[in-house]
Amino acid sequence: MNQLVNLPAGVKGKDLTALLKQMWLIRYFEEKVDEFFAKGMIHGTTHLAVGQEASAVGSIAVLEARDKITSTHRGHGHCIAKGAEANRMMAELFGRTTGYCKGKGGSMHIADVEQGNLGANGIVGGGFSIAAGAALTSQLKKEGYVVLCFFGDGASNEGSFHEALNLASIWKLPVVFICENNQYGMSGPAKEMMNIEDVAKRAEAYGIPGKVVDGNDILDVMSGVGEAVDRARDGEGPSIVEAKTYRWKGHSKSDAKKYRTREEEQEWRAKDPIAKFRSVLIEEGLLTEESADKLKAEANKEIEDSVEFAKNSPMPTLDDLMEDIYA
Amino acid sequence: MAKEIFMPKLSSTMEVGTLLQWFKDEGDSVDVGEPLFEIMTDKINIEVESYEEGILLKKYYAEDEEIPINQVIGYIGEAGETVPEASPGESGAALSELGDSRQPSKHDLQEIEISETASINETGDGDGVPEMEKIRATPAARRVAKEKNVTLSKVPGSGPKGRIHQKDVADFSQAAPAATPLAKKVAGAEGIELQTVTGSGPKGKIYRADVEKMKQPSSASESGSKRVKMEGIRKVVAARMLESKTSAPHVTLTTEVDMSEAIQLRNQLLRPIEKQTGFRLSYTEIILKAAASTLKLHKNLNVSLEGNEIVFHEEINLGLAVAVENGLLVPVVKNADQKGLSDLTAECKRLGTAARSQGLKPEEMSGGTFTISNLGMYAIDAFTPVINQPESAILGVGRINEKPVGHNGVIELRPLMVLSLSFDHRVIDGAPAAAFLTDLKEVLEQPFKLLV
Amino acid sequence: MRELTYLEAVREAMSQEMRENEDVFILGEDIGVYGGAFGVTRGMIEEFGPERIRNTPISEAAISGTAVGAALTGMRPILELQFSDFITIAMDNMVNQAAKIRYMYGGKGKVPMVLRTPAGSGTGAAAQHSQSLEAWMAHVPGLKVVQPSTAYDAKGLLKAAIDDDNPVIFYEHKLCYKTKSDVPEEPYSIPLGKADIKREGSDATIVATAIMVHKALEAAVELEKDGISVEIIDPRTLVPLDTETIVASVKKTSRLIVVHEAVKRGGFGGEIASMIAESEAFDYLDAPIKRLGGKAVPIPYNPDLEKAAVPSVEDIVSAVKETLNRL
Repeated sequence: MNQLVNLPAGVKGKDLTALLKQMWLIRYFEEKVDEFFAKGMIHGTTHLAVGQEASAVGSIAVLEARDKITSTHRGHGHCIAKGAEANRMMAELFGRTTGYCKGKGGSMHIADVEQGNLGANGIVGGGFSIAAGAALTSQLKKEGYVVLCFFGDGASNEGSFHEALNLASIWKLPVVFICENNQYGMSGPAKEMMNIEDVAKRAEAYGIPGKVVDGNDILDVMSGVGEAVDRARDGEGPSIVEAKTYRWKGHSKSDAKKYRTREEEQEWRAKDPIAKFRSVLIEEGLLTEESADKLKAEANKEIEDSVEFAKNSPMPTLDDLMEDIYA
Repeated sequence: MAKEIFMPKLSSTMEVGTLLQWFKDEGDSVDVGEPLFEIMTDKINIEVESYEEGILLKKYYAEDEEIPINQVIGYIGEAGETVPEASPGESGAALSELGDSRQPSKHDLQEIEISETASINETGDGDGVPEMEKIRATPAARRVAKEKNVTLSKVPGSGPKGRIHQKDVADFSQAAPAATPLAKKVAGAEGIELQTVTGSGPKGKIYRADVEKMKQPSSASESGSKRVKMEGIRKVVAARMLESKTSAPHVTLTTEVDMSEAIQLRNQLLRPIEKQTGFRLSYTEIILKAAASTLKLHKNLNVSLEGNEIVFHEEINLGLAVAVENGLLVPVVKNADQKGLSDLTAECKRLGTAARSQGLKPEEMSGGTFTISNLGMYAIDAFTPVINQPESAILGVGRINEKPVGHNGVIELRPLMVLSLSFDHRVIDGAPAAAFLTDLKEVLEQPFKLLV
Repeated sequence: MRELTYLEAVREAMSQEMRENEDVFILGEDIGVYGGAFGVTRGMIEEFGPERIRNTPISEAAISGTAVGAALTGMRPILELQFSDFITIAMDNMVNQAAKIRYMYGGKGKVPMVLRTPAGSGTGAAAQHSQSLEAWMAHVPGLKVVQPSTAYDAKGLLKAAIDDDNPVIFYEHKLCYKTKSDVPEEPYSIPLGKADIKREGSDATIVATAIMVHKALEAAVELEKDGISVEIIDPRTLVPLDTETIVASVKKTSRLIVVHEAVKRGGFGGEIASMIAESEAFDYLDAPIKRLGGKAVPIPYNPDLEKAAVPSVEDIVSAVKETLNRL
C-alpha cells in the first residue's frame, strides 16, 4: 500500500484507507447526532462538522501519537481523527457515565487529555493560548511534541487570536494554528466580518508563515499541515494553515440557514471531501468500489454500535454532581 | 388530636383572667365561634368563642378561678380521646410533654402580644384575628429564653429599639425564677422572694400554690378587719399607678380659671343640646372641648414616650377618668377636637354609662393621648393627678367655687375653678406645659375662642 | 527567627519551590530584569534564567491561557499579573477554562497553576489599579482564592498554592508587601482552607482579610482600652473557607463583624455573614452581624478620599462598639 506516484510527499507512510474510514466515521457520527437531536433523543446543543471531514482528518493525519490538539465547539471530527472511540463520544452526548466526560461535558467539551486531545472548547477562540501553553510545556520540557490548534474563521476575529499568535511567534512555540474557514461564523459570512480574503494573511503580522489549502482535499491539507508541523517540530515556531471548506449543516441544531443560498450549499456539496478522496484512492488502486463500500459499511456499523453502547450505558447518579470540581 | 383551650391574652397588660362561667359542659359539642366560656380581665368581661369544633373533653378550672394567660384550661376533640388529668400548664409547652410533634397552632399566644385595639368580640371569620406585635430579640436571647423557660415578652430589652439581648434574658431569669404570672403576682403581693420558693412544675416552675405554701401566718391579730383580694380592675389600677408614679417624674402646675363665661355658655346650650341628644351638657364636655382645641395648638403635650422615642400624636384622643366600683376606668373620646359639644355630650354620657356597667369595648379604652380627671363634683379645689401612661400629661379639674377676686380695684365674687396639669418631665418641660395651661385658661374664660 | 517582609516571603516561597521542582516557572509582564511591577521577582531571573522567569508581552489573556495550557500538560506555572485589576482581561481563561476544565472533562486533566497578583488601594494608583475583586473569583467553582495578610502566611500559603493541583488565585495586598514577620528559612506549607486566629478575645469576633487584618489588630488595641476584648480571625483563604473556625468563634463571642477592603456590596463579607446566619452559630448571635467594606465607589486618587473609601481603624472600633451597644 501507499506506493503512489501521484500523491504528495507529506502523505508517505500513511494508511490512507484508514483515513477514508475516519472521514466516514465522522460523517456517520454527525448525521446520527443530527437525527437524535431532531428526534429529541439528545438534549442541549451541538455543532456538526459534516462537510469538513478532510480538514480534521488530514491535519491530524500528519501528527505523531505524542502530538496534541486543541479543538473547537465544532469538534467531533477532530476527536475522531485524534483516535477517540465513537462509543465513548456517543455516550457523552447521551450524558452517560461511560462518556469521555462522564456525561458532564457534552458535545462541546469532549477531551481525552492522555491521548493528546486537550479538549473541544465552548468559548470561541478559547483554544489559542491553551495550545500555546501546551506548546510551551513541550518546549520547556523538551518533549518534542507539536500542538495543532483548530479554530474557525470567526475565532480569528477574537482578541485572543492576536495575543496568542504574537506570544507563540516570539517564543517560537511548536504550535500550528489550523483555520477551518467554513465561510460562516454562525450566520456571519467571513467576507463581511473581515476585510481580507484569507485568514492566513494575518500570519504576516506575526512574522510567521501563512498558507491556504483546499480544505475539501485531504491530500492538500496533509501536505500543507505536514510542512507546518515539521517546521514547528524543528523549533522554527508556529504557522497558520487555512483550510477553505464548508459546513453542510447549520451552525447548531436550530438554524434555518437564511443567511446563505441553497445554490451555494449545492455547489459545496458537489465538492464532497469524502467522495473526492474515495475516487482518488480508487484511481490510485488503493481501493476497489467493493472495498470502498465495505469500508463505508464498517464505519456505519461502528456508529450504529456506538448508539447501542450509549443507550445501554448507565446515567450518572446525583452523587456525581459535586465530584471532579477540584483535583 | 385534641385541641387545647387556653386562657387568651386579650390586652397588653393582661396576665391573668378570672373564669366567670363555662357555657358548655364536658361532653357537649362545640362549634367554631360558639361562646365557650366567659372571663374577666383587668379591663373587661368577655365571652370567649371557640377556635375549634368538637366535643368539650375536659375543663380543668372551675368558675371564679384565676388562670394565667396561655394556661391550658380544657380540651376540645373527638369523643373518647384521652387528655391529661390535670392541666398540662402553658399552652404549647404541654405539647412536648404529651409527646406531640404538632407545630404550635396559630393560636398559641405564647410570646405574642395582642394589640389592645384588636377586636376581640368577633372571632371566627378572620376579622377577629388578633394583630400580632413581634418581639425584637437576638437569636441568642431567644435561645437562652427557651432554655430558661423565660417568656420573652416580659423581658426588658437593653438594645436599640428595645431589642432583647442574651444578657437581658439572663438577668431577667436570674431575677425571677420561672414562675407563672399568677405566682409572681402572689409572691409580689405577699413580699415573698421567688428565689426562695421551690417550684413544683416542670423544670422547677413555680405555681401559685407553691408561693402560698411559703406564706407566713400574719403575726398581728387584726380583729374586725376584712381582707379583700386585689383582683381585676383594682389590681390593674394599682399596678399602673405605681408604674406611672415611679417611672415618670410628675410635675403639677395649677391655675385658677374664671368660669363666668363658661357658665353662661353652658346655660345657653343646655336646652338645645338636651333637645338634640337627650343628654344634659356638663362642664366636663366644655372643659374637654376647650382642652382638645388648646391641645391642637400645643402638640408637644399630645405625646407619649415609647422606648427611646417620643411619639407626637396626630389625633387628639381624650381619656376621661371614670370612677367605677372597685376601681377606675378611662374611656377615650376619639378625635375630640373634631367634635362639637352636642356630639361630645352624647359620647361622654354613653361612655360613662358603659364604664360603670362594665360594658366598655377594648377599643373604647385605648388610643388615648391625654386624659382629663374631673373631681369637680366633690369639694376639691386642686389635686395632683397621676399620668395615665403611656400618655404624658393629665388635666385635673376642681370644683367651681365663688371667690373674692380683685378686679379694677374692686373686690368682686367670681366663680373660680382650679385646673391642675400633671406632666411627665422626661418628655415635657415646664414652659410648654405652662403655656398650654395659660391658653386653656383663656379659652375657658373666653369660650367664643372655641369658634376660632 | 529572622524577619522577612511579606514581599521577600513571597519571593522566597517561589525561589525555594523552583529549586525543588523543575516544572515550576513564572510568567508575567516585566518580571525579568525589571523584577516585576512591585519588585517581587527581583533577582530571580539571574538565578533561574529567562526560560523560567518568562517575560511576556502585555497580553493578560494570552498569559493566563498559556498558563492554563502549560498546567494542563504537566507544568506548574505561576502567573504574575501586575495589578489585580487586570484580571478582567485574564478572566475568560480563569473562569471559563482554568476553573472548568477538570469538571467539564469528567475529572480528567488538572490545571495546577497560581495566579499571583497585587491588590488593594492605598498607593494613590486610583480607580484602575486599586481594586479588590476577590469576590468575583471566589464565586467561581473550580478556583481557589487565597488572601494572605502576613509574611509568614504568605510564604506558607504560596507553597501550598503552588503544590495544589488546582488553579489558585493568590491576592497580595500592596500595603502588606512591606509588613514584616518572623518567617522560617526552611520551606513550609500552610494548608489552604485553614483560618488563623490572629488574636483571641471574648466579646466579639472580627473576621478580617488582607490589610484589614492589620487594621483590626490596631482596633483591638483601642477597644481593649475600653475593656472590650475582640477575637480576630483571618480566613487566609476564601476558597476553601474555614467555616468551622469562624462558627466556633462566633458561638463563643455571640457577635460578628466582617471587614474587608473590597466594596461591601456583593463583597465576600456577605458570604461569611450568610454562612454564619445559616450555621449553628445563628442561635448564639446576640447582635445583628455587621459588615464593613469599601464604599460603592471607584477608588479615587486624592489621598484623603482614597482613605475614606475603605474601612479605617476607627470604623472598625465603632462597628464593634455598636455591635456591643457600647457607643
